[in-house]
Amino acid sequence: MKPNSDPSSEDTLRPHSYDGIQEYDKRLPNWWLATFYGAIVFAVAYWMYYAQSGLVPSDGAKVDAQISAIQAVKLSSAAGSLDDEGLWTMSQNPVVISAGQKTFNTTCASCHNEQMTGGIGPNLVDRTWLHGGRPTQIFSTVTSGVAAKGMPSWGPILGPKKISEAVAYILSKHDRKEPEMNASAAPLAVVQPAAH
Amino acid sequence: MPIRPLTPPPTPPPPANSPGSAQVRRTLSPNRNTVTTIREDGSRRFLHPADAKGVFTLARRASAWVLIGVYLLLPWVRVGQYPAVFFDVGARRFHLFGATLAVQDLWLMFFVISGLGFSLFLVTSLLGRVWCGWACPQTVFLDHVFRRFERLIEGDAPQRRALDTAPWTLNKILRRSIKHAGFILFSAGIAHLFLAYFVSIPDLWHMMRTAPGLHWSSFVFVFVATGILYFNFAWFREQLCIVVCPYGRLQSALIDDHSLVIGYDVNRGEPRGKLHTPNAGACIDCNRCVQVCPTGIDIRQGLQIECIGCAACIDACDQVMVKVNRPTGLIRYDSAEGFAGRRTRLLRARTIVYSVLLLVGAGVGSWAFSTLRPAEMSVTRMRAAPYIVDQQYVRNQYLVRLINKRDQPTRFILRPRQLKPGIITRGFETTVEVGPLGEEVRPYIVQVPRGQYAGTFTLMLQVTDEPRTFTLNGEVEFLGPDPELLKEDGAK
Repeated sequence: MKPNSDPSSEDTLRPHSYDGIQEYDKRLPNWWLATFYGAIVFAVAYWMYYAQSGLVPSDGAKVDAQISAIQAVKLSSAAGSLDDEGLWTMSQNPVVISAGQKTFNTTCASCHNEQMTGGIGPNLVDRTWLHGGRPTQIFSTVTSGVAAKGMPSWGPILGPKKISEAVAYILSKHDRKEPEMNASAAPLAVVQPAAH
Repeated sequence: MPIRPLTPPPTPPPPANSPGSAQVRRTLSPNRNTVTTIREDGSRRFLHPADAKGVFTLARRASAWVLIGVYLLLPWVRVGQYPAVFFDVGARRFHLFGATLAVQDLWLMFFVISGLGFSLFLVTSLLGRVWCGWACPQTVFLDHVFRRFERLIEGDAPQRRALDTAPWTLNKILRRSIKHAGFILFSAGIAHLFLAYFVSIPDLWHMMRTAPGLHWSSFVFVFVATGILYFNFAWFREQLCIVVCPYGRLQSALIDDHSLVIGYDVNRGEPRGKLHTPNAGACIDCNRCVQVCPTGIDIRQGLQIECIGCAACIDACDQVMVKVNRPTGLIRYDSAEGFAGRRTRLLRARTIVYSVLLLVGAGVGSWAFSTLRPAEMSVTRMRAAPYIVDQQYVRNQYLVRLINKRDQPTRFILRPRQLKPGIITRGFETTVEVGPLGEEVRPYIVQVPRGQYAGTFTLMLQVTDEPRTFTLNGEVEFLGPDPELLKEDGAK
């Protein structure tokens, strides 16, 4: 081994002693320093661009925009506005009726029977309405349920679109002129789907 | 010769690392205070290791090509209807040798990853850095693909060093261009094949034949990956092992005096002296071990963190020992205890604990994987009263959720198990079809006649697919009033 002939390269020790272990003071590799300083510059630039400059919407704003878009779709669904008039109109629409039938047969038929004649749940094709026969009242009954009788609240599970389709399907089995379904009790407000 | 204590011979004061020196040294003078590849001024000293020939070089080359073969061919191997190893990020499914993990099953990767961890712990405590020198992709691709191509184009170590300092003649331009073109090509190949593990070969081929704009994120990923791989294999090389790799550092904690490492037999070799020096040890100070080292250390100074266990120094020293008619093995695989003349113990507290942990993990992991099913079911109570009592029945209402984890539609059949006769159920009278990767929620009503009601019980449900290839079991409580109170109520 060739002896050291350059007196300037002494191995200096850093002063701190870690339980008797000390480290030499050597220069870090240049590529390491370059990427380190580069990362600091990048971090500042990134922060300025995304958090400070206003050029890009914040993450919170992006999520809010997505939620608003979803709610807009929910509100302006093909169902139209959910008042009595709207639901009667839907009950004439074959596409809506077919979708409603599908929902009814998979979800409601186990208690109300596929022919809607009832069983565990009441008959839906007769002229007795235990909780109100107006379309909006039927919608409200399905959405909120009747806890004491065992009718679950389907609002959170099915959502207003499927419920309105199922209600339209039920309405399609009735005559619009039935008095029980046009009861002049205090008119209900337009049903708004709950914002989750 | 008396047995010396296990300290290497004292090194002379460290030599200059020549800041910015243009002079090319024929032999390095490594020392234990500095990293050879990092100069005093922080710049990189690029190494040109000499050729090593011998048993370990050949064995490593063979094992490397087996591993490369596995890496290249595995995406083409199918198990069942999917590739053997397919991390389908797009469909959010992992396919591992026939087992399909949906997002809900990802907890099983805990066993895979911790199993790999414990295996590495055990292997390292026994065999030292054998992963680094024999199996790590860095070594496998660098030593056996990139360096060999470089050797082919630019020649052996002295020739490469000469080319470094040569002026830019046509010869140099041509050789460097061909070398780097080859490097970029190999890097691109590795990067594309890496993508195949995530998108599968047919999709990869399709993407390669269509415009990048149609699959922008994949294109950028492969582009960046090619760049990183090229930069790594062309320039960064052993810096990754020395500075970046955490596993390399972990092994300091995992290696003890009984682990197999590569070392220099100080007792045999010292005092070193040229041939025909009287009373000299076996080492003739030819420095061949230093010249072949890809991380630039002198193994005679003892085990160092830069040593990746590539065994080039073993082959180099053996080659020379044969030429001077001395026994080989002056540099060899042995434990620190072995070098001191004592026995290497395979069975010790560390290896026993790692083995036990590994076996326990393997057992539990195997059981966990055996619970994997292509579907899931869950039963919950409907949101209403917990039970409803009417004239005839005590009634509970449930919702059954079926999740189909397969890529094709599946028909499910639900049946109650061990249900007493007289109890009526509604729902699931017919099969329920769930679309691919879909889920369905259906009501399930259970009615117990009042006269038969004897209190709460556990309702057991079983779901199978139509061809009965698998079974899912679920349990839920049937709730109701106190049977005595119900009787009194009925008697009124």
